[in-house]
Amino acid sequence: MDWSLIGLSFAAVFLSELGDKSQVAAIALGGSSKYPKAVFFGTAAALLTASLIGVLIGEGTATLFPPQAVKSVAALGFLFMGLRLLLLGDGESDSTETTD
Amino acid sequence: MTPAAPSEDSALEKETASENVDVSASANPDDEAITQASSDPATGNSPPSDSAGLKGWWKVFASTYVTIFLAEIGDKTQVTTLLMSAESHKPWMVFAGAGTALVCTSLLGVLLGRWLATRLKPRTLELGAGVTLLIITIGLGWDIFQGF
Repeated sequence: MDWSLIGLSFAAVFLSELGDKSQVAAIALGGSSKYPKAVFFGTAAALLTASLIGVLIGEGTATLFPPQAVKSVAALGFLFMGLRLLLLGDGESDSTETTD
Repeated sequence: MTPAAPSEDSALEKETASENVDVSASANPDDEAITQASSDPATGNSPPSDSAGLKGWWKVFASTYVTIFLAEIGDKTQVTTLLMSAESHKPWMVFAGAGTALVCTSLLGVLLGRWLATRLKPRTLELGAGVTLLIITIGLGWDIFQGF
């Protein structure tokens, strides 16, 4: 075990993620959702997958996931979730969900 | 002595009838538990037990997962881990440190959100959260625009 490398990567990633959009999204979604645990597991799993892909595929990530396209879909996702909160309130409440 | 016999019989009948009811009543929750267990892979999490709540739980999990994943692909944290693992040739050590940090920041974020939820009115919180998500959308839009 290379503890200094683990510590270094922990510090680098921790500092760069503090206040970054994923953490801000986790604050917003975790505060307003009925299922904060689902938000935590979803956020943590997504970040772990993204960094695992970075470690495994390395430079190939950009060709496998074209940044512009991927970011556009993410932007649409945030737009949809934000508008749902503004217009419908808690969009996850069962009474507002009729279609599935 | 003769009236006692029929009353005993009817009491017996009642008992068997109530047993039947018990059996049919206990069969249904079992079925429900089985269908729920099949739709819920053993993750060690504790999602709500009713099926509507379970569905909502997985919906929140999936939408959060997909959106955050897509937003983080190719982002600076991923580039950092990528460069560090390339330099050190120890990708699993880098992943161990980066992964722990990511779990910590997500946990801090959700806990801060819960703390705000105890302080603010639900509608205020929803509006704030909605506006925050739209600001993230604009930030991502700016990133996309600059990439062209």
